[in-house]
Amino acid sequence: MNSAAPAAATPPGALFWRVRRALRQPVVVIGLGVTFVLGVLAAVPLARLIGDTITADGGSAWSDVLASRLSENLFWSPLVATVAIGLIVGLGSVVLGAGLAWLVVMTDAPGRRLIGFLASLPFVLPSFALALAWESVFRNDLVGGRVGVLWAMGVGVPDWLSWGFVPVCIILIAHYFSLVFLLVAAALASVNADLTEAGEMAGASRGRVALGITLPVVMPAIVAGFLLAFAEGVSNFAVPALLGLPVRFQTLSTRLYGSISTGQTERGFVLAVLLICVAALVLFAASRLTGRGRGYATITGKGGRRRTLALGRWRWPLVAVAAGICLATTIVPAAVLALSSVARRSGQLSGELTLHFWSGASDPSIAQGTEGVLRNPQIIEAGLTTLLLGVAVAALSALLALGIGYVVVRGKGTLLARAVELMSFVPFLIPGIALGAAYIAVFGRPIGPLPALYGTLALLILAGTAATLPFAAQAGRSTMGQVAGDLEEAAVMAGASMPRRMAAIIVPLSLRGLLAGGVLVFVKMVRDLSLVVLLVTPSTTLLSVIAFRYASEGFAQFANAITVVIAAISVGATLLARRLEGAAQPWAEQ
Amino acid sequence: MNPRQRVSALLFPVILLLAACGQQGASSPAAPEASQDPLDAMSLEELVAAAEEEGEVVVYSFTSRIEAVEEAFEAEYPNIDLIGSDMSSTEQIARLQAEADAGAAEADVAYISDAPVVFGDLVQSGILHRYVPAAFADTVPAAYQEPLLANRLSTKVLMYNEEAYPDGSPISNLWELTTDEWRGKVVMVDPLVRGDYLDLMTEIVLRADEMAEAYEALNGEPITLDEGIENAGEQFIADLFANDVVLVDDTDNVNAAIGALGQDDPPVGFTSYSDRRDNEDEGWALQVADGVAPAPGIAFPALLGVVDGAPHPAAARLVIHYLMGDDSETGGPGYEPFYVAGDYPTRTDITPPEDALSLEEVGAWEIDPVAVFEIRQDVADLILTLQ
Repeated sequence: MNSAAPAAATPPGALFWRVRRALRQPVVVIGLGVTFVLGVLAAVPLARLIGDTITADGGSAWSDVLASRLSENLFWSPLVATVAIGLIVGLGSVVLGAGLAWLVVMTDAPGRRLIGFLASLPFVLPSFALALAWESVFRNDLVGGRVGVLWAMGVGVPDWLSWGFVPVCIILIAHYFSLVFLLVAAALASVNADLTEAGEMAGASRGRVALGITLPVVMPAIVAGFLLAFAEGVSNFAVPALLGLPVRFQTLSTRLYGSISTGQTERGFVLAVLLICVAALVLFAASRLTGRGRGYATITGKGGRRRTLALGRWRWPLVAVAAGICLATTIVPAAVLALSSVARRSGQLSGELTLHFWSGASDPSIAQGTEGVLRNPQIIEAGLTTLLLGVAVAALSALLALGIGYVVVRGKGTLLARAVELMSFVPFLIPGIALGAAYIAVFGRPIGPLPALYGTLALLILAGTAATLPFAAQAGRSTMGQVAGDLEEAAVMAGASMPRRMAAIIVPLSLRGLLAGGVLVFVKMVRDLSLVVLLVTPSTTLLSVIAFRYASEGFAQFANAITVVIAAISVGATLLARRLEGAAQPWAEQ
Repeated sequence: MNPRQRVSALLFPVILLLAACGQQGASSPAAPEASQDPLDAMSLEELVAAAEEEGEVVVYSFTSRIEAVEEAFEAEYPNIDLIGSDMSSTEQIARLQAEADAGAAEADVAYISDAPVVFGDLVQSGILHRYVPAAFADTVPAAYQEPLLANRLSTKVLMYNEEAYPDGSPISNLWELTTDEWRGKVVMVDPLVRGDYLDLMTEIVLRADEMAEAYEALNGEPITLDEGIENAGEQFIADLFANDVVLVDDTDNVNAAIGALGQDDPPVGFTSYSDRRDNEDEGWALQVADGVAPAPGIAFPALLGVVDGAPHPAAARLVIHYLMGDDSETGGPGYEPFYVAGDYPTRTDITPPEDALSLEEVGAWEIDPVAVFEIRQDVADLILTLQ
């Protein structure tokens, strides 16, 4: 049975034995399981998206979008704007994020632990919170009503700085650079000291070591960061919606939201499909350019203390720049949020202060009698649901990350590995709004014996897991890519079974990367808006949706108070994760 | 790992998912009543008894004033828990549609505007049912009882800042909004995002003749239409957008823009007359622009419907009864949040609030939902080309 049947023997027989032998390999088993899960999570909704555009209604939607008098404003202009935003945000995030990561992990800059902590925070705030903070400072009087601090002081802020393309890019970079920071920092922290020491012993300068050794080794993480920042920048909805509308700046995501929420679902889906194609093209080009597929195994089991680079006279200037960035992207928005949640009159930060919006009882003359955030039972329940959702999605995500990473790295080049990679890419490209709509279309009705999931927490968990698949996949892949194959092979030769290998070697070594990925996913779900806005119902509602709703209603103080709560939860989670990371790998130097 | 272990390992996530689905029992659709008629014919006392047995009721409301209603309702009927959800009409329509598709109605009552789409889509497909309490069958005109009951008319009209313009509205003709003097100083919500504003634009197109007359009255010569523009109404919309109209995504942003105190040169814009009730709390100075030719905007009904397959049908009807008000002159606690200038009760036996301009004085157009529904999508496409 073990020797291969001769090729000239009965083909069905040979195939049978080959399949049977394949099924004994753990890569294949896990691969099939992961493929099934990914199929349900990613492939089916995508098929539904595309399928709905091929029906009779869909046909006219295609011509409306691409070749009618609407096309210029509905598709082509927003397309240019969207791709531009994506590229600029991706590049900007990489420059800022990777630069800060290098400073924090690889050098002896003073205060680097604090900088590292602060740099991971912007991702924690909802992106619309940063937009609101920007408005408080830079808003001019184009729309009338309240103005920002600068305009009130007499500074004539031009329209291009207050609204539209420039602030959208700046805010998104300020939001997503911390994502890149987290990814690159995790990768750098796992880089073995031997590599840099070897370079230094050979006489290379500091710069040469940084560019010639460190950079290529963490390139997978940098590319992953760029791709994630690009995809997120392209599908972000809240920021262009808040800052673009007054100057009629539209992106594909705002056009998509507009279409779906006014019942033009086919047009919305057509836009989504086109957006997916565009994003896929760019990602494909990017991965070709950087020659992805060359991974470097750096967790080899042969240890060495990481040595930090002495900065010398560059020390203080670099720290000053880093501190400035952290201040502008974390401290200032947080202060603005907190202040405006206790301001009696929304928007007037220097006026009367009150705690009503936090702990006040219902007062009919204020915000139609809405109770304070900490007393409102609806908000408390939403908070619990949010936490539950975040934890559930993070756990499922981590599990999937392990599976995906294992299949893709160990089974590199096989059909299964390529299928898994492709499917885990798919949610990258689908904007949150479209993914939510597709999920309702697919799972909103009963499927055979399975009940309709519309309105249930299960649907949110499923959609959340799908939406965060790219994070899981990247975390899994870069983590697994760094665990060298020899470790596992040694275990195989010693006779360890698959579960044993998983439990004793693979999981502990990948724990740091998986934990980082899990926390990212938790934070992303807790503050996400575009995915869940179509999926929540009054009985299963979430904090982010309530905050956005209050912000739209003009109950700014409540919105900001809830945003502070969301931020507190996320910061708490990040702190907890750091503590656990340290405990999980005591051999890794802090 | 032997085959059995492998199979169970693969099935485990599937089992988890099914378990999670099973936990959510709240959204299981109620078995349809044998017929809704018995409930429709019940008296108020019988309705209250049946509703108290049901114990709770879920209301989707397009106005945030549902919170105030919730308090008053629960004070009156302590055994019934009213759960109000505030969401825009556009969102309600999408949600009710999705819940109907899923066969899992969550809401009992829909308090909703955007009549054209509600009548054209939701009522046509049977998602919303009509209920008129017997007590009000005589005091509400027949037009506001079919196809759904309306408890008031709301407005989307031109408003200005009365602190900056104490002598009255600076605008007396809609076409002034397209002149250089008001370039960039007209604010409204994006019609492509809020259905009520699209209805406003559509009504302007439907009243093209009146718009042409008003143009002539202002400029002394008949209007000339641009290429591709079919009537004076469309021309107005095109000119408005060419004049840098400022679009925002919510009425409260419009209100703050127009009404904030302490502005030297505030813009004007389209919003609800009834938002004037928040002037004191929010620090606004909103006032409606009356006497604008041909009209300052539109008036439209706020509709009440029972959701098909509602889990609490008796309580739903009780809520509708409550929202219509009681015997008192001002409508009582159920109607109180809406007893403000700018909301016009459909009941003919309620005295209007003091200091409120009547609908005739304001001069707003009352929309015809059927006519609006027919051309609404074309107007939306036109606006798309202008943005």
